[in-house]
Amino acid sequence: MRFIFNLTRREIRSSWRRLLFFFLCIALGVGSVVALRSLIQNLTRAVGTDARALMTADVDVSSTNDFTPTEIAKIESAVAESGIVDGRNETITTSSMARPSEPANPNVKLVELKGIEPPFPLVGNFTLEDGKPFDFDLLANNGAVVAKILLEDLNVKVGDKIRIGESEFQIRAVFDEEPGGTGGFRLGARVFLEKKAFDGAGITRNARVRRRILYRTTDNPTALVAKLRESLKGTTINIQSYRETQENLGEQFEKTENYLSLTGLLILVLGGVGVWNVARAFVEQKRKTVAVLKCLGAGGGRIITVYLLQLLTLGLLGSLFGVLLAQAALLLIRWRFLETLPAKMSYSINFSTIVQGVTLGVLISLLFSALPLLQVRNIKPKLLLRDENNDSIRRLDFTKWLIGAVSLLALLGLAVWQAGSILVGAFFLAGLAVTSLVLYLTALLLTTLLRRFRGVGPFALSQAVNSLYRPGNQTRIILLAVGLGAFVVLAVQSLQTNLVREFDFTKNQKLPSLFFVDIQKSQIDDLARMIESHIGEKAETIPTVRARISHVNGEPFDFAQREVRQQQGQIGREFAVTYRQDMDDNESLISGSWWNANDNNDPEVSVEEEMAGRLKITPGDSITFDISGRKITARVANIRKLDLRNTRTAFVFVFRPGALEKAPQTFAATVLKRATATDRQRLQRDILESHPNVQIFDVADLVATVQKLVSNFVLAISFVGSFVILSGILILIGSIALTKSQRIYENAILKTLGAKRPTLTAILFAEYGLLGLLSGIIGAGFATLLSFGVSRYLLHIEWEFEPRLTLGGIFVTAVIVMLVGAAASFDVLFRKPLSTLRSQ
Amino acid sequence: MIELKSVTKTVRSGIEDLTILSDVSLEIPEGQFVALTGASGSGKSTLLGLMAGLDAPTSGTITIDGDEITRMSEDDLAGIRSAKIGFIFQSFHLIPSLTAFENILIPMEIRGAPNAADRANELLRDVDLTDRGHHYPAELSGGEQQRVAIARAFANEPKILLADEPTGNLDSKNGRHIFDLMTDLHKRRAVTLVLVTHDHALAAEAQRQIVLRDGVVVSDESGRDAVTGMRDATRGPGDAETVRRGDTAKGDAEVVDLAT
Repeated sequence: MRFIFNLTRREIRSSWRRLLFFFLCIALGVGSVVALRSLIQNLTRAVGTDARALMTADVDVSSTNDFTPTEIAKIESAVAESGIVDGRNETITTSSMARPSEPANPNVKLVELKGIEPPFPLVGNFTLEDGKPFDFDLLANNGAVVAKILLEDLNVKVGDKIRIGESEFQIRAVFDEEPGGTGGFRLGARVFLEKKAFDGAGITRNARVRRRILYRTTDNPTALVAKLRESLKGTTINIQSYRETQENLGEQFEKTENYLSLTGLLILVLGGVGVWNVARAFVEQKRKTVAVLKCLGAGGGRIITVYLLQLLTLGLLGSLFGVLLAQAALLLIRWRFLETLPAKMSYSINFSTIVQGVTLGVLISLLFSALPLLQVRNIKPKLLLRDENNDSIRRLDFTKWLIGAVSLLALLGLAVWQAGSILVGAFFLAGLAVTSLVLYLTALLLTTLLRRFRGVGPFALSQAVNSLYRPGNQTRIILLAVGLGAFVVLAVQSLQTNLVREFDFTKNQKLPSLFFVDIQKSQIDDLARMIESHIGEKAETIPTVRARISHVNGEPFDFAQREVRQQQGQIGREFAVTYRQDMDDNESLISGSWWNANDNNDPEVSVEEEMAGRLKITPGDSITFDISGRKITARVANIRKLDLRNTRTAFVFVFRPGALEKAPQTFAATVLKRATATDRQRLQRDILESHPNVQIFDVADLVATVQKLVSNFVLAISFVGSFVILSGILILIGSIALTKSQRIYENAILKTLGAKRPTLTAILFAEYGLLGLLSGIIGAGFATLLSFGVSRYLLHIEWEFEPRLTLGGIFVTAVIVMLVGAAASFDVLFRKPLSTLRSQ
Repeated sequence: MIELKSVTKTVRSGIEDLTILSDVSLEIPEGQFVALTGASGSGKSTLLGLMAGLDAPTSGTITIDGDEITRMSEDDLAGIRSAKIGFIFQSFHLIPSLTAFENILIPMEIRGAPNAADRANELLRDVDLTDRGHHYPAELSGGEQQRVAIARAFANEPKILLADEPTGNLDSKNGRHIFDLMTDLHKRRAVTLVLVTHDHALAAEAQRQIVLRDGVVVSDESGRDAVTGMRDATRGPGDAETVRRGDTAKGDAEVVDLAT
């Protein structure tokens, strides 16, 4: 043992520089795993740990209609019976338009209103920007407490007045942290008002109002929730407890955490490829030392132990350094994304995550260096007498196969562990294997093709091509690793470009530029006139009725069932439905038939394809809708597909005319013309002056919000992708080290034969330039394919080839590889040939 | 005692088998100083490597102190080397990542010998390198490196010392110094010394000279007579210079002196 420890120590002392890449590969991989896992953990903790605070209560009873006296009686009796409620309040939420009272200020903005009453919040904190707690007096007499962003949007300040609906409110304070609000996606800025001020402002006439009765309980509310669901069955009232929300949130975050960790694992596995390369080079360099040790009487097992211990020590140190890198990455993320991320998010790393990362790092070091280290067994001491290449290839070496199989199984185990699912873990590994195989085969094809050009072109170029086929070359591995990195980054970039183009409404002429909703029947003519006079376009108006599904084929949804509850957001929500005689251009039938004018008068409905799948219905089934408390049962006439790219409006349910005309309805209007921002703003202001209840969506604003989300998302993926590229580059540098002695020898011979340094430099640049070019071609090629596939078949959006992105990507990859490769080999040019040739 | 019986070694060269050693039988008693000579490619180094268990013969047996090493596993062979055999190479083969002192220490650590550091210092003194112990091989001259190699070979006090052209990479002065060191240690510790060399002058100082040609022992003689036999055996195309040097071999007196 003393021999093993002493030699390990001495070897680390002397070879750490050579193994620096081993260290870096592991550090980078572990850094990615730890950073990604910590990021999502901290995000979870900041956003989702306290579902109670998100809900601002323990139980949430909500409806889009006014609660009827019967419903209230049922709710209150269930609550009283439970005996666990110690706090109650009501809130109303809706969206509306806000504009400064100051006539000279032309701004208009959609805001999300929340009417509250004391005590609020039942759970959680409500603090103002100056750090003081929220006070209800601020809202008295038409006061408003607003999100900071609104001040910028409307160009107003605290103390200014704004108009919402028919009333005027004074901005009294800006809140810092909103109870139940954690910076999720929102159309407009949050504005808090007094609940009773809603009616005065005429806002409750708005159809999209959600009323909530919130309860704080002293005990587990599960039984109360079950009781409420039972007694309110068949109504459209939604009941939630914080426990269920917590459960769903927890599950979602855990999934996200595990998937992100897989991305980290991908980088770590690439690091593993680097480790494998370095370990191979290491054993190659240590051949003589191993032979000497064997000659001096050390057994193969002991020597392998020494080197394994050495690599594991470096793996451990690399992993610890990786944790430091992860911490640095988190700080970088804080610096870059502070605005986007929750204010209270922590940027530290959990101890258990550190342990997990370090364990992964050490295991990957072990798995990927075990096979190369086994080569030590094949090194014979006789090579000291006659240095022949004695790496006899034993094709059926049982130990090698065994270790290989164990490594693969262990890798699968790691993937399963990180994914938190056997299936996902296995898919990850299989996906990685298939991707690598495809990239590798492409690399093989390209290098085979290039081989035909050996000896073609100027001396430097033909020498460079020859160099790619140097014995023991790592050409295909480098192409695979760097190509994979380029592939990830370019695929994401290409998808982004196509997505952004899709949302670019200046190009997509079918998307409306302005969208008006909640128009009363009496307001239609006036509104149409105003639109025409401002913009010169005759607006298209569509009747809309708000409805909820209460029964499918006579059965109510059973929200006590978990899988039904998980779909609640999709099937239990309120739908805007319309009625018309004809199918739109952007619609096509999947099954059933469209109605004729002469059909009978029974209510019939057309259902959008995805929703039909969700409700598991086919033509002939029946759906009962709740429309302002009235039930209408309609026969499903057909299932219809919507082409979302060519649509002004997208209705999930379309009724046959005849059933809904008498129901309370509002109208929506769309404008297609791309008016200037000033014209759009002026139109919005004028409409709101005379029709304050109308809500206007400026699609340009929405698109900007979505584009910001997409670009943040893309930035995040590109960030991860750049780590993949970095691993590829580390592998590149490692492989350069692997073949360096050959390069030195070749250069010495070329110099002896009269080659000058500029020629040798040209060969070096040409070689790595070629390598980078091939990697770039592989990466860009597959990125284009992936982007095309995802756009066409998954996102169903138009796809266009991006020559600038593709060529730019290939160029940048080539330049990076060329510079890194040349930098890593540059010292070779300055070696004196004599000493090199003598030592050979 | 080293005993070789009908040892043959063939290797594959391209598509045909090449015979390096052919039916070699030898007995080397304990404590004898044997010089192994012959032209390049005659099989000297291979024979030495087989004696050390660095390679296995194609056929025949080799025994060391009664243990047949031919059928031993790699690890058992390593054990035999650790306990009984010291090896010195023409190109020294020191471990470049270890200092001179650590290179000497290694065999003792492999064997788990006690007081290894003290003994390593003692050996450094023996080879006159006390102040060079902390230097790495690259920082030492060829002669110094070979002295470290000798100290390393003697670290576990082996009964057998096998030296493969130990002076081949050194100038004559350093070569002589190394040779004297080896023979001195051989005499003082009574080890069996098998020396592969091209230098007839050095070979002449051995108690016994074995001459190989094309893998066959063509001469195996003790003392003065051996020189003549060697001269015949090594004579061949391109070997004129060797032969001339053999003619002028001196040191007969020393051979006699050592043999007595």
